[in-house]
This record gives sequence, C-alpha cells and structure tokens, in this order.
Amino acid sequence: MIVAARALVIIALGAMTAHTTAHAQTGQRPDLTGAWVPLGGGRGLDPTLAPPPAGPIVLKPEYAPAFEAKRAADAEATRRGEPPPSDAVLCLPYGMPRMMAVASYPVEFLETPGQITIVTEAFSEVRRVFLDQPQLPIDEVPPGYYGHSVGRWMGDTLVIDTVGIKESVPGYNGMPHSAEMRITERLRLVAPDVLHNQITIEDPGVLAKPVVYTLAYRRLPGYKMVEFICENNREYVDEKGRVRMRLGQ
Amino acid sequence: MRPRGVFADSFAVLLVVFALGSAPARAHHSFAMFDTANPVTLTGVVTGFEWTNPHVYIELDVPEAQGVKHWSIELGSPSILMRAGWTFNTIKKGDKVTAVVSPLRNGEPGSLLSRITLADGRMLGNGGPAGVGPGVAAPAGGAAETRPAR
Repeated sequence: MIVAARALVIIALGAMTAHTTAHAQTGQRPDLTGAWVPLGGGRGLDPTLAPPPAGPIVLKPEYAPAFEAKRAADAEATRRGEPPPSDAVLCLPYGMPRMMAVASYPVEFLETPGQITIVTEAFSEVRRVFLDQPQLPIDEVPPGYYGHSVGRWMGDTLVIDTVGIKESVPGYNGMPHSAEMRITERLRLVAPDVLHNQITIEDPGVLAKPVVYTLAYRRLPGYKMVEFICENNREYVDEKGRVRMRLGQ
Repeated sequence: MRPRGVFADSFAVLLVVFALGSAPARAHHSFAMFDTANPVTLTGVVTGFEWTNPHVYIELDVPEAQGVKHWSIELGSPSILMRAGWTFNTIKKGDKVTAVVSPLRNGEPGSLLSRITLADGRMLGNGGPAGVGPGVAAPAGGAAETRPAR
C-alpha cells in the first residue's frame, strides 16, 4: 500500500514537472507588478500547477528534541481548544519568510528601476529587494523582520537573497533559526498568471540541511490592495498562557 | 480551462496530502478556542458592527426567556470578507439578523461566525475563495479562508 502510494507520488510528480516545463517561459523576464494571491494558502489549487511537496525541517541534533517537544505540546494544546499564543496574536508582523504566504492574503509586487518592492496585505508588511547589488556581510545587517534583500534576474527567474533576520522572528513552521540564516527565493512564472516561489532556508547554526519549500500564487488583475491596521485586536494571552477572546458590549 | 479527469482529481488529493508541510502560517490566530463541531444559531438585534483588523466583529443582543443575552461574534478580516461579498456597511446597528456561530469552548458568549442571514434575507459566509470576486459565500461551517492553513 505504502509502496503503491509512493509510486503514485513519483508518477504524479513526474507529470507535474513535465507540465510545469511545458509552461516555462521563453527566458524573458516576466512583469511581476501587481497583486498575487497565495493559491490554496500557498499550496496550490490546480494540481497541474501545484508546487512540489515541501522538504523536511532537519535540525542539528542539539536543537531537534526541543523543537519536536514544542510542536507536540502545541498540537496537544490546540486539540484541547487552548491554542498557544503566536506573535500574530499580539499583532506583530510575520517577517521573513512566513510573510510570503499568510492564509489567502494577497501579496503585491512593485517593480521600479533598481528595486522590487513587495507589500503584503496581512499586516501591511513591506520588503525592499535591491537589484543587482552585492549582498552585505550578515554581521553588517541590523537584525530585523525583513533583513537585507538583494535580487537579480537569471533568465526568467528572479533570485532574491535575504540575510539579517532577527532570531526572535518566528521561523518557518516554528523552526528555530540563528543569525546565520540565509533565505534564497527563486520566483518564476510556471503559467502566464501562476507564480512559484521556491524558498531555500540555509542556517549552518541550526539546520542539519537546508529547508526547501515552494509557494504558489495566482495573479489578481486589477485587485486593489486593502489596508490592514491591527487596531482592534480582541485576542489576548491569559495568565495561563492561553489565547482568549475579549468580549464586546 | 484544462480538462480534468479522475486522474487529475486523485492527483489533487495526493498533492494536498503530501504538501501539507508547506502550509503557511495562520492568518492571525488559531481558531481552536471555538467549538466548530457544535454550532449554535443566534437570532437577535445588532448593537455594533466593527469593520476593523485583524477581525471584524458583530455585537448582538439575543432575546431569551429571561431577558437578553449579549454575544460577540468574530468574523474574518475586511480583506477576506470583501472578497466574499461583504462591505463596511453590510450590517447596521438595529438590524435583525440570524447567525450560525461556533461558540467559545470556555462557555463565554463569544463566537466565530459560520454564516449569517441579513435583515434583507441575504445570506453571507465568513470568507470565501480568494480572488474570485464578490458574492461567493463560504461553505457551511464557514471561515474556510480565515482559518489556519495548518
């Protein structure tokens, strides 16, 4: 049964790769300007254009037990109906790389000479990608939510390199990360209105091997981005660390 | 539109199953504090409609045998709701509405909206598929797009 399922996965992935290749552009730079919506929360709705499955998070042995224990405890608390708090509950932004797919909130790309600006609708986060510049040494970048990003076009693919993410910014799927984390994004159209962003997270401080996952987006022609100011946050964390909802009048 | 067959449909299921690890972060918070398995229906008069982030709220006075019970109802965000046919003035103070909600597990009169029947008879959900334009109500149970993706 398991073998059959694996075989089916391989066949499916093969079909997907062939289809994706068929959609590949002609090597020209696409115009990314405009709004895009994560497909199925970034997972993809059209199976023929869905991204490949995410790779595993493999931490160095000294970090793995605590990570797995926290995951298990969080899952158990959620099952009890007492979800653990997250930064978002406190109205803090997501930061990189999680901001690149928050539920079904659109992401806007703005191309101007020498820069691509990425604005997310959830929490109105803004990244600036400086084109055709060398990356700074990590220890020269003030740690922040978005770090320092440089990008360059390689044929039809926009490659973005990001360093300088603050260690307190929650990591992808809850993974810990160090000041050495480096995020490489490869953005490429796989169909005229479908964008894939393959994200590779390297962190020699914490990870035993790089984490690779791919987000998918669909273009939203004419969409006007909506403001998002976290002004009326009724969720709070009680004295027992549980998320609660403040009632109104 | 590409033709889709049985293979495509199985493929979709397969990919969803195997792609769960790539799910993005939750929108704002987990919805586990709401009892989505045991919805309740509330009919009452709106005392407030807050078109705000990170969530929209309806305040509702619900007549009971002994007086009035006040409920707070949480919805998605304006962005999510606008794509499902809502506007900032869809509901007004004084409107009589009927809402199907998932109540808080701790017994307090707070809840998460599944769907609502407005004063004019229209029914709206708590969000819908992204980017498909207005007028798409959520399926029963609602809030599909505002719930955590994992």
